[in-house]
Amino acid sequence: MANAASGMAVEDDCKLRFLELKAKRSYRFIVFKIEQQQVVVEKLGEPNESYEDFAASLPANECRYAVYDYDFTTTENFQRSKIFFVAWSPDIAKVRHKMVYASSKDRFKRELDGIQFELQATDPSEMSLDIVKGRAN
Amino acid sequence: MYGGDEVSAMVIDLGSHTCKAGYAGEDAPKAVFPSVVGAIDQMEVDDTEKTENNSGSAVDSKNTVRTLDSEKAKGKRKLFVGSQALGFRRDHMEVLSPIKDGVVVDWDMVDNIWDHAFRECLLIDPKEHPMLLAEPSSNTQQQRERTAELMFEKYKVPALFLAKNAVLTSFASGRATSLVVDCGGGSTTVAPVHDGYVLQKAVASSAIGGEYLSDCLLKSLESKGIMIKPRFSFKRKETRPGEFQTVDMDFPNTTESYRLYSQRVISSDIKECVCRAPDTPYDESAYSNIPMTPYELPDGQTIEIGSDRFKIPDILFNPSLVQTIPGMDNFAEIAPSVRGLPQMVIDSINRCDVDIRRELFSSILLAGGTASMQQLKERLEKDLLEESPQAARVKVLASGNATERRFSVWIGGSILASLGSFQQMWFSKAEYEEHGASYIQRKCP
Repeated sequence: MANAASGMAVEDDCKLRFLELKAKRSYRFIVFKIEQQQVVVEKLGEPNESYEDFAASLPANECRYAVYDYDFTTTENFQRSKIFFVAWSPDIAKVRHKMVYASSKDRFKRELDGIQFELQATDPSEMSLDIVKGRAN
Repeated sequence: MYGGDEVSAMVIDLGSHTCKAGYAGEDAPKAVFPSVVGAIDQMEVDDTEKTENNSGSAVDSKNTVRTLDSEKAKGKRKLFVGSQALGFRRDHMEVLSPIKDGVVVDWDMVDNIWDHAFRECLLIDPKEHPMLLAEPSSNTQQQRERTAELMFEKYKVPALFLAKNAVLTSFASGRATSLVVDCGGGSTTVAPVHDGYVLQKAVASSAIGGEYLSDCLLKSLESKGIMIKPRFSFKRKETRPGEFQTVDMDFPNTTESYRLYSQRVISSDIKECVCRAPDTPYDESAYSNIPMTPYELPDGQTIEIGSDRFKIPDILFNPSLVQTIPGMDNFAEIAPSVRGLPQMVIDSINRCDVDIRRELFSSILLAGGTASMQQLKERLEKDLLEESPQAARVKVLASGNATERRFSVWIGGSILASLGSFQQMWFSKAEYEEHGASYIQRKCP
């Protein structure tokens, strides 16, 4: 347990939806938010939605967590996919929200088994597709 | 587990220079006062009667419960806490700090500071409020257990939590991973935080903080013939409208440390008003012709400050500049451990795992009182861009709001302690009674 963790609970639905994303690939992405002292699913992305759709579903002035199933082709021409986690915390969000999301992240991420890499982003440029590509390879 | 009733928690951040205390859930600490105390040895002074009348918040340490303090040697002394009590000059009063290198060395003083915060500033009964204390990253196990003992045994708090100050700052800016550069009053600390853990082995600190800069400014002005008269050493009255007369007063029994304390109050105000970090490393010749900035001292004399405006802040980046200031003789003592701020940042990042370095470079958080120095963020970012590896994406962040910059630790603690979900995280009195003080290591890792 990290120091100063918030003790925020995680709704079971988060884990179930994440498993569906991981095993059945039923979603492209999932956006989570914290509501009434627990982490809940806010939005599910259809498998055919793009990275732009994903980026657009993160509000400009509020914090969110999200996972994205990223498909790519390796340098050896293999089709691969990696699941990444985004801690979205824009600078203009309220301090209170930033604190809540940051102090609950560690616990929440542990609930989602199978995340391959993680980004923390405070503005869209920190989670551009180029950065994702760089991290995935 | 602490029951978490409706009584709000208290948050205290005892820094090396200032103590911040207030109610959890508020935006800023209610009480902000110096974390130094005035001490008078009772042996030397007979006329304590006289001072007693004026001491707003004097606490007689003879009467306080000293179950925890084994050091009876420094027993009989009278302590004065708070800006008001310190603002009043007393014969033979020494100004002492309970904290050295970020760690508490005198628990008796800390006890008095807490007591002052609870009973004089916040007017609360500590028995009724859970306490969240911010602690330095370098706090040892013994220190933490001692804190728990004092809080539970003496103040009988219902619940306690110790949060690392670097983690609170990091969380308050929305990041679980970041490099926290805390430019405080007494020292500057660079601490990497990863997923809410402080990476202890990579923490770097130096003794150059805001107070050190104020001292440098004081000495530098003295070397130019400008003497800063402490506020107690003169009386100023209006003889005719708009005309003032200053009468010097002489108090031979004033201690050197009190004199320095009073001068520091003034020199740190000068620093805050006129100083600004230079865009490039300070160079004596380039800054010799810059325009002078006026500043009016409390005794009415107006002084002109020139190159010191830029030279003093640059000490953070290039500590060897101190050698050019006459009177700063103690530099030789701290010199071996002191490096410039950019170097500290890079060294600290290089001691972390390769995988997280990139992320640390892109979220460097500037916090603490000295972080409000103008242009400090811009200069640090520029220097780091030059010295960091090519691939790294350097980003220095500081809250645009001066209060948030200065009190980021306290604000983080305030939000955390007020969260409904956090109420289950407290180290409760029942747990303390069952498992003892060492349980703090489990509850507040």
